[in-house]
Amino acid sequence: MMLIHCPYCGERRPEIEFAYAGEAHVARPVDPSAYTDEEWERFLFIRANPRGRHNERWRHIHGCGRFFNAVRDTVTDKFETTYKAGEPRK
Amino acid sequence: MSDLLLRNEPDCAGFAGEGAGVAIRLAEPMARYSLRARDAQVLEDLIGLAVPRAIGATLGDMACLGPDGWLLCASVGTVLPSGSDLPVAITDVSERAVRLLVEGPRAGEVLMAGCPIDLDRFAVGRATRTVFETVEIVVWRLRDDAFAVEVWRSFAPWLRLALVHAAG
Amino acid sequence: MTGFRLQLGGRVDRSRTVTFSFDGVRYQGFAGDTLASALLANGVSLFGRSFKYHRPRGLLAAGSEEPNALVSVTRGPGRFTPNLRATGVEIYEGLEAVSQNRWPSLKTDLGAVNDRLGMFLPAGFYNKTFMWPRSFWDKLYEPAIRKMAGLGDAPTEEDPDHYAATYAHCDLLIVGAGPAGIEAALEACGTDKRVVLIDEQDELGGGALSDPAQWAWLADSVARLEQAGNVTLLTRTTAFGYYHDNFIGAVERLTDHMTQPGEGAREKLWRIRAGEVVLAQGAIERPLVFAGNDVPGVMLASAARTYLHRHGVAVGKSVALMAAHDSGWHDAFAHARAGVKVAAIIDVRSEVDGALRVEAAALGITVHLGSSVIGVNGRHRVNGIEVCVGGRGAATRIACDTLLMAGGWTPSVHLWSHSKGSLAWRDDIGAYVPDKPNENVRCVGACSGKWDFGKGQVIDMLPTPRSPARIKAFVDFQNDVTAKDIKLAVREGFRSIEHIKRYTTNGMATDQGKTSNLNGLQIASQALGRPVVDVGLTTFRPPYTPQTFGALAGHAKDALFQPLRKSPIDGWAEANGAVFELVAQWRRARYFPRGRESMLAAVNRECRAVRSAVGMFDASTLGKIEVVGPDAAEFLNRMYTNPWKGLEPGRCRYGLLLKEDGFITDDGVSARLAPDRFHLTTTTGGAARVLNMMEDYLQTEWPDLNVWLTSTTEQWAVIAVQGPLARGVIAPLVEGIDLSPDAFPHMAVREGTICGVPTRLFRVSFTGELGFEINVPAAYGRAVWEAIHAAGKPFGIVPYGTEAMHVLRAEKGFIIVGQDTDGTVTPDDAGLGWAVGKKKPDFVGKRSLARPDIVAAGRKQLVGLLTDDPAEVLEEGAQIVADPNQAVPMTMIGHVTSSYWSEALGRSIALAVVAGGRGRMGEALFVPMPGRAIRATVSGMVFHDAEGARLNV
Repeated sequence: MMLIHCPYCGERRPEIEFAYAGEAHVARPVDPSAYTDEEWERFLFIRANPRGRHNERWRHIHGCGRFFNAVRDTVTDKFETTYKAGEPRK
Repeated sequence: MSDLLLRNEPDCAGFAGEGAGVAIRLAEPMARYSLRARDAQVLEDLIGLAVPRAIGATLGDMACLGPDGWLLCASVGTVLPSGSDLPVAITDVSERAVRLLVEGPRAGEVLMAGCPIDLDRFAVGRATRTVFETVEIVVWRLRDDAFAVEVWRSFAPWLRLALVHAAG
Repeated sequence: MTGFRLQLGGRVDRSRTVTFSFDGVRYQGFAGDTLASALLANGVSLFGRSFKYHRPRGLLAAGSEEPNALVSVTRGPGRFTPNLRATGVEIYEGLEAVSQNRWPSLKTDLGAVNDRLGMFLPAGFYNKTFMWPRSFWDKLYEPAIRKMAGLGDAPTEEDPDHYAATYAHCDLLIVGAGPAGIEAALEACGTDKRVVLIDEQDELGGGALSDPAQWAWLADSVARLEQAGNVTLLTRTTAFGYYHDNFIGAVERLTDHMTQPGEGAREKLWRIRAGEVVLAQGAIERPLVFAGNDVPGVMLASAARTYLHRHGVAVGKSVALMAAHDSGWHDAFAHARAGVKVAAIIDVRSEVDGALRVEAAALGITVHLGSSVIGVNGRHRVNGIEVCVGGRGAATRIACDTLLMAGGWTPSVHLWSHSKGSLAWRDDIGAYVPDKPNENVRCVGACSGKWDFGKGQVIDMLPTPRSPARIKAFVDFQNDVTAKDIKLAVREGFRSIEHIKRYTTNGMATDQGKTSNLNGLQIASQALGRPVVDVGLTTFRPPYTPQTFGALAGHAKDALFQPLRKSPIDGWAEANGAVFELVAQWRRARYFPRGRESMLAAVNRECRAVRSAVGMFDASTLGKIEVVGPDAAEFLNRMYTNPWKGLEPGRCRYGLLLKEDGFITDDGVSARLAPDRFHLTTTTGGAARVLNMMEDYLQTEWPDLNVWLTSTTEQWAVIAVQGPLARGVIAPLVEGIDLSPDAFPHMAVREGTICGVPTRLFRVSFTGELGFEINVPAAYGRAVWEAIHAAGKPFGIVPYGTEAMHVLRAEKGFIIVGQDTDGTVTPDDAGLGWAVGKKKPDFVGKRSLARPDIVAAGRKQLVGLLTDDPAEVLEEGAQIVADPNQAVPMTMIGHVTSSYWSEALGRSIALAVVAGGRGRMGEALFVPMPGRAIRATVSGMVFHDAEGARLNV
């Protein structure tokens, strides 16, 4: 079980308190109706799924409750950093 | 609340095993409020109580559990204003949870049977939301040898049994 | 009968005799003996039968690396543990152990015919042979193979023991309490560090336990550790896995060594988070590979020394040594000094340290340098060995009853490798050693490759004049893999050691290659003609040694397996004979049978009561979310399909929630209590999911909104009172609310009191009848329920359960999300197009409702289905076809989602999803069942009171 640094609580907490929430920085468009079918398909279904560095979201669901972003290496399963929602991609 | 009607509490008989080093019991009913606000100052002004600012900190009956969230556990009868029209949310959750008091020299050890955080290094006066195995709890360290564990009502009998098992 | 107890020596307590049995024969040993040492002392040398060839096997080792001597221990019903290493089983008074993988007995095992057929059972034999015909697999091949090949029997009865579990935190965790581990712990004594020292054996000391010269130091060190105050000592504890961020899983065996285990937990799972980890797991001696190296009596030299010094047991009366490493010489010398005859020392090396030769001479031991054992005589026990010089020429026979092997040492890097630390190859010792750590961990002592056992020669197989194709020289004793098998795998084209491992099974399963990996690697490297580092190393996987399922489950057993959530009214239901069902973790009253009433009769009676008089239902498990803040209406407007901003305080609305892909994920009736306060309800199973989804949108998409969500599921008990007489029942109990139809219309909410308790009173209906849902603070739920039940008696009130609730709602065509929908159903598919706000510019899932495949014709739509035979109740989940006479496989056009006997209609009803369903009204479809096809007609979804008149009373 990993330790995950919650950027809101400011400490590393056991993974069991967290829930994974998919790729980060996939912003919902302000006006989805302006999207073509292809653009909407990309937004809904297409994800980077990289081998290596991955920007992803987690929620400290059994802690402070906040969603936040993280950079995790999908090969080593190590977190490089975590940062608050709304902050620019790291 | 009506005097004519009986409260009904979850099945959480007290435990104080001979030489177990820990006692577990259900606390008396309390008034509980979930308080949310973007700006703690607005909340303070509204309710007239000081609000702890750091996650994990407590001040009196109030614990800061998230960047914009607090839990107030006060005596029955405590009533807070609704905060209409302000950027705050105050919700009565008095009966959502019950409180198990885990007391004695082995209190921390017994909690750590299923709670993954390091309670040896969890200072008196700190509170946090966490889990006991799969069940969400709020742990509040009252004294060196006493923890309050807030748990949603329907999970309380299971949690009490798990703690008694660990104390066994 | 060759091993025997020495007159002196060992750490066993000779004053305490222990009686135990093995395969039904009673033996005696001493307290402090393992099953292995005690049986050795009794002259037993046959411990088991091998996995594949059923060859007789004895002890190879003295520790947890033992691959052969697997036994089962039974201690009463359900307390049967297979596959224990005899070397790790502590004897106690009354211990009953049995051997495995033999029939009818260990001495006479019919499966041993496999050994004679060995040439027909090469690597990959099963893969190659039992392929065809396919139909033979289930009935013939698999059961037969399972019977012949395998480990111990799985227990068949429920395990009556209980198990404990805990998390633990420390600053320094040391795994392995040999001299290196103890030194590391001593360094941390008296500091402010929390130290945990773990060892799998019953006492601290590791290798020092087999070396009397270290016993004084050991006793002193252990005393210092015990007194230190900051050191937790865990013996009989195996660190079985090393996980992320210094998280180590360990199992402490608490009672398996006791005659009277008592009431306590059998084992305890430790989940340890450590600041720093020190691995001091030591090293394992490597066997040598030669023909007959598995005959009982051939064993590791260091193991023999352990039996000698720790248990006071000589492994034989005449011992020979086959060495490729200095350490074995010292083991042989120890035997000679203890009075055991050493028949010969054979060393594959032509030159060894002069001091060794001098000492051998002084002890009168014959030495054969540059020589190797090429054969072992004896089947159930060694009675001699054949030795030749340089693997050529004539063999000399040497009589002996035991042959020790000293093939060098393999650092135990298992946990290090679990932690993903890298390894470096060392040619000089022929082994991988820890290199770069991946966690805050370091290795000390022998597991780091540092030892003072002397030098050795690394060798893949002993030289032999015999054809390699005709000898069985074992590499993996537990999985019965020979050198020949590995070479065959290479010849058949396997190049990667990971593939060779899987093809030959070398190093697999419970053993994880403790004694076999390095020899296998050397042989593969030779066969491939590539250096070992290019061949690689297989992955070590947890657990280090097998652990019981009980230990891994910990306290998650029986009542603690998972929480059973009960509503505040559950106790009343139980006292009144309810039959329960599980819905997510909740248990809910399904129906309330009277006397010996059947479920159908009870449900029909409950339905009749609601339709004709009044019923009451515990809806407390419904998910509830309080949405509060100035932007509450705006938020709900963005989440739900329908408009919310115009909803007046005091009114309710049905809300339909989609995922962004346009499919229904939840629904529920919600109420606006104040301009900035809503009381949402969700499905029972969807509460946590919906709250998480809403938090997700709120926090990450619309963080500017001033609105907050609080789960209030457990704050409120909910009592549904439904039926034409509902108002009359509750009226006398309610204060502060005008219940008249004009003042309190359908889909309205009021706050007041009931029985003096504050209530949020909803006028809503999931039955189609006049109905109220009474929310009261959970602690008062039962009292209010009982008060309503008493008040309802004159009206004929009947408590009803979830089954009647389902029937009543289906009669009205109300869907259950998750039953009538499955994650691929849009609002239009479900006939809920009316709940979608056409004028809303956006809501979650709106854009997807215009996706090409969502607007395409022919989608499955929810419709009613009425069987021709009104008594026929379709099976939920049954498939639907248009033509029952078409060829198999038929074209399925949908399936039944809900199906019940409707007491109100006097016939069966069903809901189904059917391709183009709403265009098929009146069409006959078929539900194929075994032996017949049931004819049914497509209908609308509302079967009862289509105009909704019954709501408005």
